[in-house]
Amino acid sequence: MIKLQYITIAFTIAILLFVFIITSSDAKTAIDQLGRHVTVPENPERIVSLAPSITEIVFALDQGYRLKGVTTYSDFPSEADKLPKVGSYVQLDLEKIVALKPDLCIAIKDGNPIAVARRLESLKIPVYAVNPRNLETVMQTVQEIGGLLNVEEKADKLVQSMNHRIQKVKSLVAKTAYRPRVFFQIGVSPIVSVGTHTFSHELIVLAGGKNVAQGPIAYPRYSIEQVLALSPEVIIITSMARAAVFKQIKDEWNRWPNMPAVRNHRIFVEDSNLFDRPTPRLVDGLELMVRLIHPELFEGTQ
Amino acid sequence: MITAKPVLLKRLMIITFLLLMALMAVMFLGLSLGPTHSSMRTVLQTIFGTYASDAMLHTIIWQIRLPRVLLSALVGAALSVGGLVFQALLRNPLAEPYILGISGGAAIGAIIGILMGFSRFPGVSLTAFIGSIATLILILAMSSGQTILKKDALLLSGVMVNAFCAAVIMFLISMTQDSRLHNIIFWLMGDLSLGDMRQVGILAAILLPCFFLVFWLSNPMNLLLMGKELAQTMGVNIKLVTVTLLVATSFMVSATVSYCGLVGFVGLVMPHLLRLVFGPDHRVLVPACVLGGGTYMVVCDILARTLPKQGEIPAGVITAMIGAPLFIYLLKRSAK
Repeated sequence: MIKLQYITIAFTIAILLFVFIITSSDAKTAIDQLGRHVTVPENPERIVSLAPSITEIVFALDQGYRLKGVTTYSDFPSEADKLPKVGSYVQLDLEKIVALKPDLCIAIKDGNPIAVARRLESLKIPVYAVNPRNLETVMQTVQEIGGLLNVEEKADKLVQSMNHRIQKVKSLVAKTAYRPRVFFQIGVSPIVSVGTHTFSHELIVLAGGKNVAQGPIAYPRYSIEQVLALSPEVIIITSMARAAVFKQIKDEWNRWPNMPAVRNHRIFVEDSNLFDRPTPRLVDGLELMVRLIHPELFEGTQ
Repeated sequence: MITAKPVLLKRLMIITFLLLMALMAVMFLGLSLGPTHSSMRTVLQTIFGTYASDAMLHTIIWQIRLPRVLLSALVGAALSVGGLVFQALLRNPLAEPYILGISGGAAIGAIIGILMGFSRFPGVSLTAFIGSIATLILILAMSSGQTILKKDALLLSGVMVNAFCAAVIMFLISMTQDSRLHNIIFWLMGDLSLGDMRQVGILAAILLPCFFLVFWLSNPMNLLLMGKELAQTMGVNIKLVTVTLLVATSFMVSATVSYCGLVGFVGLVMPHLLRLVFGPDHRVLVPACVLGGGTYMVVCDILARTLPKQGEIPAGVITAMIGAPLFIYLLKRSAK
């Protein structure tokens, strides 16, 4: 009888060890951008992305097949739009996330409610949080997500090409000392612009413009009078869609022909996703922005 | 009175039992419905542990839906009892924490708490409580001066206080720039989606003693309704009872507001319905409101998350859609 007991105990220990080895070998500990230690699977296969920008980054690394769920406005690339939705990034549906059985959720600090992240973690779903604040941290985010998905090389290549394109813009803009006043309008009613701590501001400055709304407030509001007083030379209006409505806004500005931007026909309506989503596409936004702010630099090149 | 006791006890037990059954039934329904479809049988088996269903369904039922259902039941119970107490004390069948602006005051306090970066408990709950007490005092001061609180005077002061609260809330929201804004807006419309067991525990610890306190004072409430003089001769300390009940109710309302935002008209719908069915005895109505209000709120929450195909409607929107027309109907009927 005693012998049988020993065998049972030994057997149990062996099983426990086996389980322990299995579970420990396919997990790694990563430190996310909020400085938290997160235990993530060695090779995450069922990822739920909690923001459109994260979805884009995962797709940019050709790892879209690992995504099992995305948020409502994950519309780029078009394949992302076909994936199951787990609510919008500010109002996530906890049950839908859990039902997708994710082995990793990637969250964004600015927008995702912290309460949802905590709930997911209490349900033993690892949440890796990113916090991109400018182009540099976007590239860092690309590399970190690449690391999580074991595609470091691809991520490095992507970041290199981003860096290369940014350098090209920088050297192009360096040819002129002219810095036009740019009013970047993201909201219609009320009129809202972008302060210093935004992606759009960084792009304006890199593209050789002067953001007239710069300041400590991230999304300052303006009256028409205040905008006129700033006398912007370029107005860039961004929209998610609804081009018709934004045409109206353009006509609205055209009522003030004394404004340099109106006088010189420098009011543009562009896709907001290129300027405010922390993704590799910000560089596309930058290249577009240079053409809008400094068309003279491109004269003769085409 | 002595002969009435056994009858009352029997009645109380039957009513409590029936309503408890109803609450259990809708709670089960609440556990089985959601974006992930599963058959009632699997849900039953998962709840009673007879069938080792997959871990995912287990997690969804026990850790996502259960806290939510319990939270709804607690919120509905608290708001119903709140409505009942206000209707008795102010002797006005249309009184309700939301209509009187008590909820609005609590919401102002809660938003200030959130903007100051307090945690939900105790920080935000405390600022919400201060807000609700402040509006309560304001309403009582505005409508006093008359020996009997006239229905119109009270309702009008409530409407005005509510409008003022709404303006202050709008002001606070328009001043908010950061990402907390979204959270505040969703919360303000009555959001039950993020309850976890810890919150449910805290809320239960706050609310259950209040329920017992109100139940304990249900007979004095009956006597108060018959007239202050009569109540006094029956040995009721009117001031003490009134103040205790008002403070306890404000406390309950502010606790629910700080967790789930503004859920209106629950305190109107349930007490009226139950009074219609069970009569005006508060010794029966208090427990009936706890169970019936819980049932009603769980149903509203089920509607809130199953009606839309994508996402969910805030529970406060559902309760207002049901409650506001009823309020108008009651007002019209009482005017005749």
